[in-house]
Amino acid sequence: MDSLVAALIEPFAHDFMIRALVMSSLIGTVCSIFSCFLVLKGWSLMGDAVSHAVLPGLVLAFVAGIPLVIGAFIAGLFCALATGYLKENSRVKEDTVMGIVFSGMFALGLVLLTKIETDLHLMHVLFGNVLGISQSDLIEAGSIALICSFIMLIKRKDLMLFCFDPAQANVIGLPVKVLHTGLLVLLALTIVSSLKAAGIILVIAMLITPGAIGFLLSRSFGKMLIIAYISSLFSCLAGTILSFHMDVATAPLIVVIQTVLFILALTFRKKNRSQKGVQHVG
Amino acid sequence: MNSIIELHDVSVTYPNGQSALKAVSSVLQNGTIYGLVGANGAGKSTLFKAIMGFVQPTTGYVRIAGKQIKQALKENLVSYVPQTEEVDWNFPVLVEDVVMMGRYGHMGFLRRPSKDDRKAVSESLDRVGMSDFKKRQIGELSGGQKKRVFVARALAQGSRIILLDEPFTGVDIRTEDSLINLFRSLASEGHLILVSTHNLGSVPSFCDEVMLINKELVAHGPVETAFTEENLIKAFGGMLRHHRLVGTDLHKDEDSRSVTVLTDDERPLVLYGEEGVEKITQPGDKT
Repeated sequence: MDSLVAALIEPFAHDFMIRALVMSSLIGTVCSIFSCFLVLKGWSLMGDAVSHAVLPGLVLAFVAGIPLVIGAFIAGLFCALATGYLKENSRVKEDTVMGIVFSGMFALGLVLLTKIETDLHLMHVLFGNVLGISQSDLIEAGSIALICSFIMLIKRKDLMLFCFDPAQANVIGLPVKVLHTGLLVLLALTIVSSLKAAGIILVIAMLITPGAIGFLLSRSFGKMLIIAYISSLFSCLAGTILSFHMDVATAPLIVVIQTVLFILALTFRKKNRSQKGVQHVG
Repeated sequence: MNSIIELHDVSVTYPNGQSALKAVSSVLQNGTIYGLVGANGAGKSTLFKAIMGFVQPTTGYVRIAGKQIKQALKENLVSYVPQTEEVDWNFPVLVEDVVMMGRYGHMGFLRRPSKDDRKAVSESLDRVGMSDFKKRQIGELSGGQKKRVFVARALAQGSRIILLDEPFTGVDIRTEDSLINLFRSLASEGHLILVSTHNLGSVPSFCDEVMLINKELVAHGPVETAFTEENLIKAFGGMLRHHRLVGTDLHKDEDSRSVTVLTDDERPLVLYGEEGVEKITQPGDKT
């Protein structure tokens, strides 16, 4: 028991671990809230697309000497808006357009990255480096995460109605186009805030899995949010602490824990369903 | 209170060049149940979307109670009951949550329900007989119950104009009858009810007026004068099953009346009588 407590406390002796734990709980929060809307809206591929598309933005922002988050945000949002525009104005289906736009942008980013000398490490861009977060990274990304979380929480009912029934949102006078674009902006910001810690590839899992767990285990939106948040926060904290002791990459470990939780939720739900099914016959 | 839908020369062409509505003009009044009848793809849903401001007319315009649509929606003048297939029934919302969505337009920035909002929700659930199901997740309901929840949402919203898209699809006969009774009492309270349906047989049983569309407005008027064989064939083209049984098919005596059955797939429309003066017959009618 004492050794368990010691194992839990030990990471807090290091500044970089404190920063890592704060950072991972902040992105765990923002990703879990967004993941609820993403899962319900059916935007998983959109999350995938926007996160890949930020790469050229990172490189170009480095070249231009502006903060990387701004370049990443512009590139991510550009991908989402370009997809919407091309879908409206051509006969190609949305997922096809999206696949072309984001893989094209990702490839462009890789080309730029191999040609231009930057201090970006491909491995860190792809898979994150939460243990190497600096104080300024933490303030920058953490405040974006906090602001996004706050906006999504106070506007959760409007966003939920927009996901559930856009026609009803429209008919009661809500600005549906603003909600649509707003959700895309929040997606890009959520991804940008998580880039340093989770990387382009792994942020997708953090944006999908908590919402999926919440979806499986709840019958109302409020409960879905709470379950998603708890599972995400638990995975982020446990993953960060365990990765310190096991000396493995942090973000992948977080994603592995989330995936295990998802599988547990799935089997729990199946068992529950088949028991309930007996009562519901007739 | 004035709640009239005015359609002025409304045309809708989608970006891919497909024309969905052509120059539809009409005026819809309070206290009336309108049946919007047409084949699939005839523009029923597009007309609904134009009235709800969900698509912009390419030409022409819509006014609701003399106002621009946006303003009318802000004032909660219009409510909408979607088709069953348009709803994600796995969505984690309870029955009472869905009905509460009808009240969002009455709430403040944070959408915190007031006492009035809760009262409106429970009264609406009572009115459609769904109070016992308010803690159910929406996917756990039968077809008729699902429909009643969304009707309750429209009631909770308190709009004078209620649009219903195919409300009788996938609904049992008892729910259909109770919905029709509800529409009648809402109309007598002064609501304007616009129901789209391809279920021809049920139109005479509950509509005061009928609008037949086939991209253009084929006919609009009281059921007795507008809902005729001629107009139906104009609206549906070759898409109707059409059976006419004349006297000589049925019996050998001197009776020149004929039976006409018009149907696409559900309850058929039955016309009976001398050619040109046939009457609509209802199940149970004695002619």
